[in-house]
Amino acid sequence: MNTGKMRRLQNEVAQAWAVAVKDVRVYYLTPPMIMFGLALPLFLFFSFSVKREIGPEQGMSRLLALTTFFTASSAGVIIIPMERRTGTYDRLLAAPMALITLLIGKTLVGAFFAAAVALVSLLVGLIWLHVDVANPPLLITTLVLASLTFSALGLVFASIPSRSVGNIMMPSTLIRWPLLFISGIFIPLSEMSPWARAVAYLSPLTYAQELMNRAVLGESLIAPWLSLTVLLLSGVVFLAAAAWMHQRSRRLGY
Amino acid sequence: MNNAIVVDNLTKYYGDLLAVDHISFEVEQGEIFGFLGPNGAGKSTTQRMLTTLLEPSDGRIFIYGHDIARDAYPAKRRMGLVPEESNVYTELSAWDNLMFTAQLYRVPGSQRASRAQELLETFGLWEKRHVKAEDFSKGMRRRLSIAMAIIHKPTLLFLDEPTPGLDTQSTHAIHGLIRQMNAEGATIFLTTHQIEEANQLCSRVAIIDHGQIAAIDTPERLKAAFRRVQSVQVALEPDGAAHGQALAALEGVTTVVRMGDKWRLYTADPSALLPQVVDYARVHKLRLVSLNTQGPSLEDVFLEITGQEIGTVAHETGANRDRRQRKGGKR
Repeated sequence: MNTGKMRRLQNEVAQAWAVAVKDVRVYYLTPPMIMFGLALPLFLFFSFSVKREIGPEQGMSRLLALTTFFTASSAGVIIIPMERRTGTYDRLLAAPMALITLLIGKTLVGAFFAAAVALVSLLVGLIWLHVDVANPPLLITTLVLASLTFSALGLVFASIPSRSVGNIMMPSTLIRWPLLFISGIFIPLSEMSPWARAVAYLSPLTYAQELMNRAVLGESLIAPWLSLTVLLLSGVVFLAAAAWMHQRSRRLGY
Repeated sequence: MNNAIVVDNLTKYYGDLLAVDHISFEVEQGEIFGFLGPNGAGKSTTQRMLTTLLEPSDGRIFIYGHDIARDAYPAKRRMGLVPEESNVYTELSAWDNLMFTAQLYRVPGSQRASRAQELLETFGLWEKRHVKAEDFSKGMRRRLSIAMAIIHKPTLLFLDEPTPGLDTQSTHAIHGLIRQMNAEGATIFLTTHQIEEANQLCSRVAIIDHGQIAAIDTPERLKAAFRRVQSVQVALEPDGAAHGQALAALEGVTTVVRMGDKWRLYTADPSALLPQVVDYARVHKLRLVSLNTQGPSLEDVFLEITGQEIGTVAHETGANRDRRQRKGGKR
């Protein structure tokens, strides 16, 4: 790689980082982020877990999958329409960086938030509930990868050209909630009928849950390498889809 | 290459709606180029295409010789953009807004702080540098927005309606900055509704109407080309609304506009009209408080080209009606 390209790459990495850090400072404490990114997944977990006989490890595994999914995929959905409304998104689009750099920066924002929420949940589980984690390195890998993948999923929804959080939250909810219910979080894969399990394999969240099960409980139906591969590919596909939708909006003039 | 911008056959459709209709023009390096037009004429669409925010349906744009459809990066590095909305991060302080933009435009780390200080002092925001922008007035946000757009010292600055609604102090500061940047070699592309602002600042202006360039030239040449919108301005005592009908009936008057305690009579030949106005005052025993001739203003030219009515209260004359009918009834 020649010096010019190397310099450009360094610039793009620094720009993606600058976008992520700025978003962390500006948006993490906004009410929609706290509501949809933090409170909602916790409420969901307690709603579906109370009075069900699940052990602390099983509960932790589900909680981690649920929070990474909901929290990470909420960030883009909330931040990008807010930036479109205030005109600050144009500032980012006009800056000398590739569109994919901007999208990677935005992906990092949701991923940091989700990883932080998951980490707090994990610490609570380890300290107060004495949760025993079977495979800590796999757990860390899964947290990072799932946060990035689901944050990229949020960007796909955020690429819908709207200035209203509500207009984007609606279709994202329509997709995310069914994914939640078919993905083995509330009903384990082993208890599903064959056709329900076939549907569950279509959801990337299933693979995140399977990885959490393997990392925390030490058991899963799907091989970890397969789950990691599917999650990674899903993230790439989500990022590519978000970039394509952004380009389409630029062409159509939304 | 002496052109900062070359636009060739630029076209934009929104579905079936033709917003920008095959326009071509050039902006030379070092110019202050004004882009005028009524609402919906295609100004903002054109500017969004020039700044890579919108993809054209057809045509090409070259910024400093770079075709931005192929590679916008080198052009973007040299551009600054001040949009109509002051798009600052209200949750951040003025200082943090500038630091973020400096990072985004890869201003070297050793220069960021000194450049930010220089800009904050220039715009009178240094004392408020640690205050969040949400507590700023409209004028202060505008100044901060411009400071953010020029922190990387762009050689091509796009400004979209930079001054409407601002106090005199802010407007004066922004005009001063535009002149200073231009004197230092920057090219300015100014989109504005404020015709007098374009008249004062721009070396050339383009008037866009219905998506097409209706005229493009220096302000003075445009005014010279529209001698038919010269006028005679008169103040009579006692004043009264009845003068309007009578003055409109004078030979050669195309339009009469009431302007406070004065009347402006548009005509192609002010010298022929002056004696008639004097006669009118003498016959009706009126005192001529003031009487003078005026060349066309850039606003007159703009209104004439875009087919809009001159003035807010105009007394239509036969000649005016004929002229409009010749233009196909376009207003």
